[in-house]
Amino acid sequence: MAAIWHNAISAQDDDLNLEDLTKIEVSSVSRRNQSLNNVPAAAFVISADDIRRSGAQTLPDVLRMAPGIQVAQIDSGRYAVTARGFNGRFSNKLQVLVDGRSIYDPFFSGTLWEHDQIPLEDIERIEIIRGVGAAMWGANAVNGVINIISKHSHGEANGMLAASIGTHGQRQLYARAAGNIDADTSWKLSAQGRHAGPAKKSADGSYSADDLTASTVDFRFDRTLTAGSALTVWANVANSTQGDLYPFTINPLDPMVLDPIAVDEKTSTQMLGARYRWLTEQGFESSIQSSLSNAQIGLKNAFEIRYVKFDLDYQGRYTFAEHDLLWGLTHRTMSDEAWSNFAFEMTIPRREFTQRSSGVFLHDNWTLVPDTWQLGVGARWDQSNLGGSFLSPSATLMWTPTRNHTLWAKYARAPRIPSRAESDVSMISGYQGPTTGPFLSMLRSQPGSLPLSRETIEGGELGFRSQLAPHFSIDLSLYRYRYANLVSSTLGTTEVNLSFGPIPVVIQNLDRNNAANGWLTGAELSLDWLLSPTWRLQLSYALTHVDMDASSNPISDAQGKADERGTARHTGSLRSQWNLSENQQLDAWLRGSSGMVRTLSPYTTEIRIPGYVTLDLRYAFKLTRDLEIALSGRNLIGPRRVEYVSDYVPATPVVIEPSLQLTTRWKF
Amino acid sequence: MLARITRPARAFRPHWLAALLLVIVSKNFAQPNSEPQLEAAYLINFMKYVEWPASARNTASICLFGRDTLGPLLSSHEGRMIGGKELRILRVSSPADMASCQLVYIPDVEEARIGAVLRWTQGMPILTASSADGFARAGGGIEFVRHGGRMQFIVNASSLLQQGLTASSQMMRLAFRVIGGER
Repeated sequence: MAAIWHNAISAQDDDLNLEDLTKIEVSSVSRRNQSLNNVPAAAFVISADDIRRSGAQTLPDVLRMAPGIQVAQIDSGRYAVTARGFNGRFSNKLQVLVDGRSIYDPFFSGTLWEHDQIPLEDIERIEIIRGVGAAMWGANAVNGVINIISKHSHGEANGMLAASIGTHGQRQLYARAAGNIDADTSWKLSAQGRHAGPAKKSADGSYSADDLTASTVDFRFDRTLTAGSALTVWANVANSTQGDLYPFTINPLDPMVLDPIAVDEKTSTQMLGARYRWLTEQGFESSIQSSLSNAQIGLKNAFEIRYVKFDLDYQGRYTFAEHDLLWGLTHRTMSDEAWSNFAFEMTIPRREFTQRSSGVFLHDNWTLVPDTWQLGVGARWDQSNLGGSFLSPSATLMWTPTRNHTLWAKYARAPRIPSRAESDVSMISGYQGPTTGPFLSMLRSQPGSLPLSRETIEGGELGFRSQLAPHFSIDLSLYRYRYANLVSSTLGTTEVNLSFGPIPVVIQNLDRNNAANGWLTGAELSLDWLLSPTWRLQLSYALTHVDMDASSNPISDAQGKADERGTARHTGSLRSQWNLSENQQLDAWLRGSSGMVRTLSPYTTEIRIPGYVTLDLRYAFKLTRDLEIALSGRNLIGPRRVEYVSDYVPATPVVIEPSLQLTTRWKF
Repeated sequence: MLARITRPARAFRPHWLAALLLVIVSKNFAQPNSEPQLEAAYLINFMKYVEWPASARNTASICLFGRDTLGPLLSSHEGRMIGGKELRILRVSSPADMASCQLVYIPDVEEARIGAVLRWTQGMPILTASSADGFARAGGGIEFVRHGGRMQFIVNASSLLQQGLTASSQMMRLAFRVIGGER
């Protein structure tokens, strides 16, 4: 029959053979960490290895390594996470997706980080794209998008157990079972439980009531059909309970002070989703994804929201000649029911509401000159019954003069739709004791006479990425955006309420409007340096500058100043990953942030939160190929600190202290 | 006086550090072993460890799809004999180019076009290789992965079977992972 190719390696061959190649240590920065290398945007990738080596137990702590992502821990479970400024308990300008499904809460417009939607062990990688991404990801992808990609079940055909125990009542248990039904079909089931003890109050060092218990069960099923088509099914159930102390009732002896009441925040979500991907003979790639989720967020006997959310997403891709065309259609319906038992403190006039939004987008990456110039043009049109219809255009130009250097420029515009909470809810947002007279005063934030319309963000970015040497790469981005029609407030009517006992209460209403405008300017740098095949250093730094326009309206003006001073101007991190030997790793992470000034809700006093520099260390020892023990310490240097005080929701500030954690990971 | 003595000493310290780093770096980078270099060396090896169905042609071609990331590293191998055939390095971009390829390499920067390339090469005696994430799962033949500081590869055995290719048992044994079939 015929000459089949001969396997034998010819004698004169001086190549390294296959076996040698598998043993060589790579001495260049991994491209896997730059798989967004070819994207004309400020992008950063966190791999599963980076997550493990960070020693972090929560997703927000992992995100601290990305330049331009600002993370501040509020208490033992809550975090304020944002991209490029405007941080808050509910940072409304950052979109967060898990396998393409948004976990951004449209009621509050923000992400509840104390609620674990996915165990860290189940994450394959996290892609972070800072800047406006609305042309692709839709409204609310204003300052950035975090794409969390879960591990494919095929690669996980084994069991795993990971247990952690640490100081401050930290306990965590993760278990996974997985299997292959046949060569093309696989499944994975994982469960995680996490507990964190209460933190100490910054005021007097006694314990707060912020202990957290969170659990997640996640299922994934994958089936590869014919070449190029695949089916994935996800199911997820998550619950969390976290206490808090709300400064709430007026102290009868000292009316300057509000006494705390203990509250229990409970969150539960259930989600079922599926995605089908296929490829036609002509080369059209398509994906259709749908999910149904149910959520319940509440404070026991005081306040509750339930909602059902339905998402439908279609995406297509076709490459021909010099074009790479992407298009998509999305639809979301969210029906909620919300009520509050605090008739005075918080009122929700519309108990039930259904928010519907639909969008369509088209994007083309056009190669003008092969390997050198690429133009990207895209636009998305969205229609929502909160905020109307709007167009989000974007354009990018990317120049790759040599294989190792990329320069890009981007223009984009994006809307943020006001949330249901902003549109409907009235709540007491400020309290002032009897300083100016024999009465108390309170601020109430409420909807204005006109319905809120969308916020608009428009601007540009410049970026430079370069592999300066095989073992050294640099990524730099600069941006400037104009923010228009941001939600703000104006002075409304004044009421006198006599139901608080002997002292009259003057209530100053603040009517929400779209009157704030400003500029956001900044720069981000990340360096990746492989000092030796076993030692890698990664540096990231971000400069963020919020500059709101002065306003003749004193409330808007004050809120603008609060936005400026409430953003940390400098944030940075330096990570060292060092493989001491085949089975030992020593990792260090130096990170810090400059200070900021924030209003301590519900008081109207401003608090200066000092900047900090701290260190995390992790030592891991692999006993066998499948068994690893790691000891990690977090926040090891620097004074005990308050990282954040809650601005909108009343809360008790707590201190972040050094902590230790012992983790065992066993694969079987 | 004291200041005068201590100042030069302080200024000297960074030089020490720089010198030390330079020693570490130069020591460790004596061997050229960057990711693209290793990938290029792997591709040459795959031409030896994989059997293609019989053919009358007397050339064997490694085709580099899209953006050129390995070309300069492979060009020195062009013209050498592998398994009795003369090695060619081609740059390809369209379905029509596929017929002349034995191995098609898709760099991770062309991740977006993986689906299209796999469709073009379906059922043809072509080995596909890529460093893009999830390439083997998507139906590609060989996926490069970086694991434990080393460059490894995943083989999709069912994909090779569909293309009519046979990987040697030694190659299967050295694979980091074999999917879609028994090792």
